[in-house]
Amino acid sequence: MKQRTLLISLFAGLAALAGPVTADETTGLTDSTIKVGVMGPFSGNASSYSKTQIGLMAYFKHINDQGGIHGRKFEIVQEDTACEPAKGIAAAKKLVHQDEVFYLHGNSCSGVAIAVKPTIAPTGAPWIIAHAVNPKISMPVNEKKSIFHGVPAGPAYGTTMGKFVLSKPNTKRIGVIAHTNDWAKSYCSPAIEHMKSQGIEPVMELAMERGQTDSTAQVLKLKEANLDFILGCLYEAETVIFLRDAKKYRLTVPVMGTAGTDLENTLARLGDQEAVNNYFVLHAFVDKVDGPKMKKWNDIILKYYPDETITGFSAVSMASGVAAIEALKAVGPDLTRSKFIAELEKINGLKTGILACDITWTPTDRHGCKKSAVAGFVDGKPTVLSSWENPW
Amino acid sequence: MLLQLSLSGLTQGALYALIALSLTVLFRATTIVNFGHGDFVLGGAFGVYVLVMLLGLPFVPSAILATVVMFGFGIVISRGLIDPIKAGPHIGFAMMSISLGYVFRGTTRALWGREVFPMPRVFDIEPIFVGHLVITGDTMIITGVVTMLLAACAFVFYQTSIGKLTQAIYQSERGAMLIGINVRRFHDVMWGFALALGAIGGILIAPISLLHPDLGAGFLIRGFAAMTLGGFGSLGGAVVGGVILGLAEQYSGAYLNSALIDITSYLVIIIVLVVRPNGLFGKQVIVRV
Amino acid sequence: MSGDTASGSPAPVQRSRWISTFYLLPVLAAFIPLFANEYIQFMANRMLVYILVTVGFNLVVGNLGQLAFANTAFFGIGAYSTAIMMSHVGLPYWVALIIAAIAGGLAGLLASITALRGIRLYYLAIITLAFGELMRWVYLHADKVTMGSDGLPLPPLDLFGLPITTEVGKFYIFLAITVVVVKATSNLLRSRIGRAIMAIRDNELTTASLGISTAHHIVLAFVWSGVVVGIAGAMFAALVGRVFPESFGLIEVIVHFAMVMVGGTGSLIGSVIGGVTLTALPEYFRQFPGMEELFFGIIIICILLFLPKGIASILAKLSAVFRERYYLD
Repeated sequence: MKQRTLLISLFAGLAALAGPVTADETTGLTDSTIKVGVMGPFSGNASSYSKTQIGLMAYFKHINDQGGIHGRKFEIVQEDTACEPAKGIAAAKKLVHQDEVFYLHGNSCSGVAIAVKPTIAPTGAPWIIAHAVNPKISMPVNEKKSIFHGVPAGPAYGTTMGKFVLSKPNTKRIGVIAHTNDWAKSYCSPAIEHMKSQGIEPVMELAMERGQTDSTAQVLKLKEANLDFILGCLYEAETVIFLRDAKKYRLTVPVMGTAGTDLENTLARLGDQEAVNNYFVLHAFVDKVDGPKMKKWNDIILKYYPDETITGFSAVSMASGVAAIEALKAVGPDLTRSKFIAELEKINGLKTGILACDITWTPTDRHGCKKSAVAGFVDGKPTVLSSWENPW
Repeated sequence: MLLQLSLSGLTQGALYALIALSLTVLFRATTIVNFGHGDFVLGGAFGVYVLVMLLGLPFVPSAILATVVMFGFGIVISRGLIDPIKAGPHIGFAMMSISLGYVFRGTTRALWGREVFPMPRVFDIEPIFVGHLVITGDTMIITGVVTMLLAACAFVFYQTSIGKLTQAIYQSERGAMLIGINVRRFHDVMWGFALALGAIGGILIAPISLLHPDLGAGFLIRGFAAMTLGGFGSLGGAVVGGVILGLAEQYSGAYLNSALIDITSYLVIIIVLVVRPNGLFGKQVIVRV
Repeated sequence: MSGDTASGSPAPVQRSRWISTFYLLPVLAAFIPLFANEYIQFMANRMLVYILVTVGFNLVVGNLGQLAFANTAFFGIGAYSTAIMMSHVGLPYWVALIIAAIAGGLAGLLASITALRGIRLYYLAIITLAFGELMRWVYLHADKVTMGSDGLPLPPLDLFGLPITTEVGKFYIFLAITVVVVKATSNLLRSRIGRAIMAIRDNELTTASLGISTAHHIVLAFVWSGVVVGIAGAMFAALVGRVFPESFGLIEVIVHFAMVMVGGTGSLIGSVIGGVTLTALPEYFRQFPGMEELFFGIIIICILLFLPKGIASILAKLSAVFRERYYLD
């Protein structure tokens, strides 16, 4: 008898737990909380990019301290992707199916974002890409219309790079040095495309791998080619090594970098003003990283993460955070996923006070941010530029 | 360009030679190949960083202190972690060394994970220009230090009684034990020495490269490639192998394809082991039944 | 059953008892989907993949006793073959799986050549590591075929017309594959061939002097390892849906190695345990981002110091069913 009761209760218990969870309009919501899932590379060799997620989470906490949104505060669930697809998929599935978040916001690694898209998109959970640049994550618009891009996507960035390079008078010979991964391609490929559309083909394309501590061979080859400009799609550490070697061998050609580095930190790492005088980066912000317009945002980050060092990454994701808050407020207290998405689609020309672009989302265009500035050293000071020798 | 590349290759090669040498020293002494060595090199670099940046000590004393600390670590590792598993299968050592490397790397990442750290310019020596050739301060220091180190090692190894002792143990451990040499202590000291050499490599790399937890992995493979090229177990071979590897990387990168720089070490390993497994100076391994 | 033989090793268990224990695990596993959400199910699928990875790797490292790190190469080759066959040639999954197994086997053959030429121990370790990294470079640079760093996506799976889109569907396919492959490996290990392989591990020269062709058995061990891990790679490709070069780097080697050691070198049940635990453990460490490597390293060091024969050795002490004569006593 006892055995049978046991067996029955066992199966009853299993049956009760059975069945996959269905995505719902109000999943992740209670009367007082909104569960948001923040994915990022908090560990692994891309972990410096997770600073953007830190900035975003600081902003959420700031909103919480101001009372939240219509009485609801953010409950942040942070998951690490380590910039690895398998781990990223596990993180995404956990957020969507186990933690059951209301929406997702974050992602720095494009490879991971593409890999997790099949997990997230079918559920209809709203997903705002706050750092990764691969345009295919958000466009073409997915079936459930739930994915939004809150930073310039690769083509926007790359075109900005290409335009800047060509804005220097008499620029004809271009060289490219890049990593061979998809991150570098998302910047350099659209940049090269733009230049080709203006009739200019790169004279040479060289590779530099992650982890190389010496770029002598590449620098010497570039020097021999008598170039007018160099496109450098390299991570922070390798950029420093390249610039150091460029100075060493007196390669004085201007270098156009990506949004993966920022001027102040590059200078700090090189310790040599002369080596960075010819270096330009994509600058997504309205002001310098430590400029007056950014102070408010940097202070928010430091309030909740006092040990954090502010770099060019820190505030990037906060802009899409501002947009998200706007949309959530606009919905009102009766919040559902569809209403959230509808409000996001209405965002038009939103000046976030952080990014150089205005965010505009439409039902058919999810690339919200299409503009970026460039920054370079003018008279030894980092300056935001719109084109060669023209301030923003 | 050839001269400049050669100079650069020599500098890189000197670093690889140092790492290969420290690996070989350990291998000869204990027949263990330290798969975690790359991360110990990192340990030296980070050790100096901590001392210089956080404690404010000047560079040279920090370097010395970091080296001594790594030497100490070596002894601790030998005593506490290698000795107890001596009786187990050989792959246990490989796994232990990998795990140790992992622990080093993990500690570094846990403490400083998201940041990338610069070392301030340590020696501000103006580069020397010989015609088109640029000889930078880094080149001079690295090649200088490594050459001095190698000379010192060679002197100790071949001329002093300690060196003779080492040679004796290398040739026959059992024989050495029979005549009363404390081989166990020798192992401990050799671990310390190998780690210290590796740490010096890290200290030399630190000012010219940024510090991040994954610094070590690349150096490990190059150390292996250098050892393979020179012949496993040959001290001189390790050095020669390192230099040749450094040069090969630069030449293939400049004259063939910049994408090859990364895999030069792998190609060297495969080609050498297929064509001439003993490398340049290695000895035939005879298995006695 | 009790009673030790003269050599001190425990007597084998009745075959029927062993078989029932062996099949109990997959039968129990079949109930997992009843109470697992998509995330847990994904993890279960991942465990199945890594069970096979560990089984394959353990064959070469534990049973043959060679320090050959070609595992990630087999894994990657299996995954990429599957992806290429499915997306470029349009083959269905089960055909691509077979091709992946063959490709893995061929890679194993290639890897065995170095072992045959007398390259042993650390040389073998290093050359196989180099082989793995070289393959990764190939995946990255042969981007016309492999799509390089963008990753090569797999078209949706279907089983003879029935589309498989959920983790649960994949689970039952993977479970079936895993059971078949593990059973086959088990049969191999229990056969004369298996015993010869282990004899080579224990003393190669003596084995050769007994008239057993060491060359044939070494090649066989490598090829079978390649086949098993190639199949695991095919499963991995289906699991993640997109194959990237970075998934098959040096870190992956360490993970595989750890699975073998934690589970128990040379032990089949150990491979299963190692694959399961070391897939689950990093998920537990999610709450401490960035600390994973540290914990991993410490755990392995502890296993090496205190439990060198892996978890399987504990099981062996508990019940005679788990005592395998696969590892060196």
